[in-house]
Amino acid sequence: MNVELTGLVRRFGRTQAVAGVSLRVGPGVFGLLGPNGAGKTSLLRMMATVLPPSSGRMELLGRDPREHPQRREIRRRLGYLPQNLGYYPGFTVTEFVEYFALLKDMPPGQVPRAVAAAVERVGLAGKRKSRLKTLSGGMLRRVGIAQAIVNDPELLLLDEPTAGLDPEQRVAFRTMLRDIGERATVVVSTHLVEDIGAACTEVALMNQGGIVFHGTPAQLTARGEGSGAAGDAPLERGYSAVLAEARA
Amino acid sequence: MTTATAPARPASARRGHLPRPPSFLRLVRIELRRSPMPLILPLIAALFWFDSYRPSTSQAPLYPLVTFWNMGQGHTIIDVGPFAAGMAAWIGARDGRRGTADLVTATPRPRWVAQLATWGATALWAVLAYLVFAGVMFAWYAHRGVQGEPPWWWVAVGATAVLAFTAAGFTAGVLFPNRFVAPLAAFGGFLLMMMSSQTGFRDRSGWALLLPTNSNGNFQVDSGILYPYLPDLPIARMMFLAGIAVAVLGLAGLPAAAGGRRVRMAAAAVIVVGLTATGTAVGLARTARLSSHGMVIPALHDAASGKLIAYTPVCAGSGFRVCLNPAYRRYLTDTVGALAPVAHEVAGLPGAPVRAVQAPAIYDDNDGQGGQPMTISGDPPVLSVPYGAFSFLPGPAGFSTAPVSRTVYDQNTRLLFAQAFVGAGDTLGTPAQQAVRAALLQAAGVPFAQQPGLVSGALQPSAPSPGPGRATGPVYAAAARFAALPPATRHAWLVTNLAALRAGQVTLDRLP
Repeated sequence: MNVELTGLVRRFGRTQAVAGVSLRVGPGVFGLLGPNGAGKTSLLRMMATVLPPSSGRMELLGRDPREHPQRREIRRRLGYLPQNLGYYPGFTVTEFVEYFALLKDMPPGQVPRAVAAAVERVGLAGKRKSRLKTLSGGMLRRVGIAQAIVNDPELLLLDEPTAGLDPEQRVAFRTMLRDIGERATVVVSTHLVEDIGAACTEVALMNQGGIVFHGTPAQLTARGEGSGAAGDAPLERGYSAVLAEARA
Repeated sequence: MTTATAPARPASARRGHLPRPPSFLRLVRIELRRSPMPLILPLIAALFWFDSYRPSTSQAPLYPLVTFWNMGQGHTIIDVGPFAAGMAAWIGARDGRRGTADLVTATPRPRWVAQLATWGATALWAVLAYLVFAGVMFAWYAHRGVQGEPPWWWVAVGATAVLAFTAAGFTAGVLFPNRFVAPLAAFGGFLLMMMSSQTGFRDRSGWALLLPTNSNGNFQVDSGILYPYLPDLPIARMMFLAGIAVAVLGLAGLPAAAGGRRVRMAAAAVIVVGLTATGTAVGLARTARLSSHGMVIPALHDAASGKLIAYTPVCAGSGFRVCLNPAYRRYLTDTVGALAPVAHEVAGLPGAPVRAVQAPAIYDDNDGQGGQPMTISGDPPVLSVPYGAFSFLPGPAGFSTAPVSRTVYDQNTRLLFAQAFVGAGDTLGTPAQQAVRAALLQAAGVPFAQQPGLVSGALQPSAPSPGPGRATGPVYAAAARFAALPPATRHAWLVTNLAALRAGQVTLDRLP
């Protein structure tokens, strides 16, 4: 298992954002669904080793992130796209991705080709010399994805990756996710169920800091059948049904 | 987004290519290319022009004089430092302002190391700009024919100060990443400079010598012309400033987000190193003492740096020859003209100088020049002219005063010559010496009426009000009698009485 979480808790003052999450995730694309404020981003930030858990155990890529040398090894193999992508407006696309490739300790000799490949993969080769401040929101999102995948990560954490992408880009993105998921563990946090259905092999649904469902997209779809839950698509109905049960 | 699977981790670099720079340098290169520091350089350049360069042009064209304002008193640092600190703070606060903290934290490279790369680029821009501005200023000085050696040690001090400002500003930005940190850092830097100047004007010894705008003990008007700029104080000051820079950069590595335990321990060690350097510099400054050539710090002093600079003098004048350092060539004709009337008056008398040579001035820890007498010594007697001690060189010679007129120069020069001849040294002299001096000056073209003001300005610069009196009283009455005598009579009396006059043994009533 590349991700093993046991009783993971994260509190912000009196608010408990993540309430005892236990999860095991292997290679493939793992979807993390849930309404706003369910704790998805906090969970992802903990998995990205950015936010230390208040309690509980976490093992990523077989390593304990509490230990500095192991945390460093995890980070070397990690790709992370935060929900709110910050960027340096004066940097070009290539420079931004190269900057993070270097921060990820990639061998300098490999960086230029890896950067070019990552920029190409997100379809920004034609914009590689453009300053980030000149790019649209969707393009910036793709730059964020490029920096996340530049080191060919073994664990890729994507928080709302398709926000701002047009339909054509979403389709291409899902294809790319499936491709990466063949070799690595990809955790995608989203509230767009169509992303889950198209790309994920496994899905968990979070509500109020806890996991209320863990299974395959097909199993989630099945939960909605005959439930009378709201939704335009079978997966949406499954999502609504599980949430309704959890809230009940 | 393309669906083609490209190798994200390509094969090792092809053989035959030049070795790529290490990651850290590549980070610095990216930061250098995209640093916002150049945006503020036009403003700094304008300040540099108006505050550092323009006031210096009103000085006599000698390096130690034209650079005393901008390098000696540290105006170049005041112009560059605070703004560099503000911009560095802005850059240091970048991850906080731009929301990239999570993204950066999730990478294996310790945040502190990446921050050092960012600071490195920031500091490089600032220091480079400082050096370019100073270089352009010196090139322009050279174009204008400014003489002597530029004060390179003090340029290095300025560059180190700029480095320290960027380090302090950057660390402030890292520790307090908000939009107010940049103006606060700039204002704080400016405030520090003002405090440094105030303390520097007041304290002429001890740790305060290390303050970047303390002009005491830096260099004087003969530095770089007759004797070298002493490196002792610049070295101590650079150690002090570099120590501060290192220590504050270490501070940026202390927070948990900066890296692991090892990184934070390294940061703590860096702080210790920085503080040690700063403390050592303070200790060295406390041992500083003023020598005739500048500030000497025994532990840093190289005896060779105290030796006079060898030069071939330029000479002029028929009969009474005047020889000056080539840097003073432009004043040679004026000097010959100024000294000749007194030389003519005393020619043939015992101890009368046969020529005049330039002598190094004694180092003065005051800002600007301190009045020093001419002296007559040797066999045959030679008049030593400590030109560097004179603040009345003809032409531009002050930051706010009008250029010195030829008349003022002539009169002051003749006064000091006559003063040396009667043996009054740097005192007003006995009444008899004053009377003979007055008579000599009258004969050399300085009317009695102008002499009280001249004497007061040159020999009693700190005389209390009401200032110089009128040319009346027993001294001027005796001087008038003496001057009215035929030259041969005066000459004969001086031949007989000059030794006693110089020894202060002649009273006013013995004058004919």
